[in-house]
Amino acid sequence: MTALALQSTVPVTVSTGSRGLVNERQRSLLMAKARTLWVLVAFVLVGMIAALRIAYLGTTGPSPREVRLADLLTPQRGEIVDRNGAPLARDFRVYSLWFNPKAMTEGEPLIHSPKEIAAGLARIFPDIDQDEVIEKLSSGKAGYIRKSLLPEDANRVHELGEPALEFPLETTRYYPQGSLAAHVLGYVDSYGHGKVGMEQYFDKELVSPEGRSAPSVISIDFRVQSALEDELAKGMALSEAKGAAGVVLDVDTGEVMALASLPGFDPNHVKPNDMVVTPEEAKEGEVPKGFNRATNQVYELGSTFKPITVAAALDAGTVTNLARRWPAAPLHVGRFTIKDSHAMGDSLNVPETLIHSSNVVTAQIADELGGERLKAKLKTLGMNTRPAIELPARGFPIWDNGKWRRLRTMTVSYGHGVAVTPLHLATAYAALVNGGMWRPATLRKLSAGEVPEGRRVFSAATSARIRQLLRMIVLYGTGRKGDAPGFRIGGKTGSAEKPGNGGYRHHSLISTFAAAFPMDKPRYVVIAMMDEPKGTVATSYQRTAAWNAAPVVARVVPRIGPLLGIMPDETRDIDISDLKPLIPHEVSEAEE
Amino acid sequence: MNLTQDRVRSIGWITVLAICAAMLVALTLRVNAVKSEVYAAEKRIVYTQQQINFLETEFQTRANQQALKKLNDLEFGYAAPGAGQYLEGERQLAALGAAPGPDAPAPIRFANAEPADIPGEDVAERAEEKAGSLLAMVNPVSGATAAAMPEEERRREAAAAKTRDSDREVLRAEAADLSRRLASIEIAEAPNQ
Repeated sequence: MTALALQSTVPVTVSTGSRGLVNERQRSLLMAKARTLWVLVAFVLVGMIAALRIAYLGTTGPSPREVRLADLLTPQRGEIVDRNGAPLARDFRVYSLWFNPKAMTEGEPLIHSPKEIAAGLARIFPDIDQDEVIEKLSSGKAGYIRKSLLPEDANRVHELGEPALEFPLETTRYYPQGSLAAHVLGYVDSYGHGKVGMEQYFDKELVSPEGRSAPSVISIDFRVQSALEDELAKGMALSEAKGAAGVVLDVDTGEVMALASLPGFDPNHVKPNDMVVTPEEAKEGEVPKGFNRATNQVYELGSTFKPITVAAALDAGTVTNLARRWPAAPLHVGRFTIKDSHAMGDSLNVPETLIHSSNVVTAQIADELGGERLKAKLKTLGMNTRPAIELPARGFPIWDNGKWRRLRTMTVSYGHGVAVTPLHLATAYAALVNGGMWRPATLRKLSAGEVPEGRRVFSAATSARIRQLLRMIVLYGTGRKGDAPGFRIGGKTGSAEKPGNGGYRHHSLISTFAAAFPMDKPRYVVIAMMDEPKGTVATSYQRTAAWNAAPVVARVVPRIGPLLGIMPDETRDIDISDLKPLIPHEVSEAEE
Repeated sequence: MNLTQDRVRSIGWITVLAICAAMLVALTLRVNAVKSEVYAAEKRIVYTQQQINFLETEFQTRANQQALKKLNDLEFGYAAPGAGQYLEGERQLAALGAAPGPDAPAPIRFANAEPADIPGEDVAERAEEKAGSLLAMVNPVSGATAAAMPEEERRREAAAAKTRDSDREVLRAEAADLSRRLASIEIAEAPNQ
């Protein structure tokens, strides 16, 4: 039929019907083949796409939704935990009370009058300022009415039936331990930036993906920190001091176990006057509560420098015989006279000098040692630079860069003329007792492989001698009130007058007790410092370190020792039998 | 209709295709259902985790060091243990059980460990021994054992117990009387108020 039709339309070309049929058949066969080919190509394409998709899914891992789940569970700002994993700072989702005047699309923004709403809110929050709320509600401007609501209070506000009162669930930074270690942790301001402590130091790290997914560990042990703060606060109250600072440092690694500065502040509710003082207060030498006395303020730390001077002399070989006696009469250097706090006899040997804390003899030892060597030793102890610690607040020491004159050398030997932070002193004492290696203090928890090698400051023999001498000060000398039975504490007291306008102020002292324990194998240095303590009934009307700072250490060590793995043991102690004959009078007095 | 072989075949293919498509749709629906179930479960996980975080934080806040310190200062007054309260090694621990001196009386023990039953031993004998261990309680003052107490003494004990009981009766009666009197005073004064 088609052939006939073709014949009728193209009559000339078709000569025979059979040939036309063959052509037609070939053409449809061709077309069928082509169609099959297309279908095949389509199938192959689909198959390839499927294979590619499978390969893609297999290689690129989880689907996007799983990422979202993990994202929801990671905090916006990483957690900070102590060395044992106890959280110190974490994100916390909390309800706020927000006034949104546009919640009602038409008509008045409020259903009840502002006065009624304020009264209703006052029933839920008795401390709220009603006038302020009325003002906010009638202004018609969006804003917070209150932050940090309890869920049950949010429900009660909801029952007031005001659509304009909304409760957005907001993430805030929360410190479960309150003001504990506030200076170490710092706080987060309303723009989400870390301030003051590790929050500022770790700021970038805490908001990075790695910092958010894993907590940042710091070297502090919060139980030790709590004991230190508690006892410092008690000591401060007993001596009516203006402030206090304390450090607990691992002598072998430089890790800071606790670092306290009092008075503190609560990072959960930072008040404007926590961080600044008025010009009048600043004139009187007041510092804000957020100021870290342990790392930021420099003090002349007085007699606590004497063991460093003696160690430098032992190391340099200018003192080879501890039994050698020096005259103890007041020393005249130019127009200046170096005196002792009380008469200590005609002459003193080295152990007696440290036990009674004689400025006169220490000055003579330093004089023999020479300013250059003393200066070099203090430099290796890092006393000419800011303290080595991660905190942003680090004080620069008052340090004479020029050549030290004779009098400067002498005054520095007993802790005057050089002002450093209590943390400087802690790292120096760690080097004194750990065998002579100085290591920077750190707030990062170090694993065994990360401990820095440190630099040698004293020889091991000098360090062993100093350990004996420090223990003797606590057993027979000014540090007796700093002893705790079984903990073998060794240390040195220091009470320095505070410089003020026009010379030293004789009635304001900085009293410090620098100690280490246990002296037979020192593990931790403990520093306690009181700022301007007064003579009170509790301190027997005394203002020196023996009466206020030393008892703090004596109370702190029994609390922290067992937590840090040091059990009290009265059957052990450092061997001081070779030095005992040098102080027969003190030994017989103590044994009575 | 003319059903040629080709047509039957193509109808067959179409049927197979339709069945496949239907199964595909069913499978897709099922997959989506499972997916949304997973999503809901994820949402629950997030919510629960947030609740856990909230409660954890609340617990940490309520049990923070300052709160514990206040509680201790107010209620307990615990202090750090002293050097004498620590034991150094097994030797000191073992020394705790030793007699404080030669010829010292054995310390009074409040707890006693019963030896375990040994299989194969005479059960009756064991039972007697066990009963004996109860009777073997020793008076720390006189040194007499309960089992060795003479018959007469035991009777005296019983009589003393009876007198104690009668004393108790008197006390109880007095107490009841007192409460009655107190009650009556209350009622008597009520009209005056």
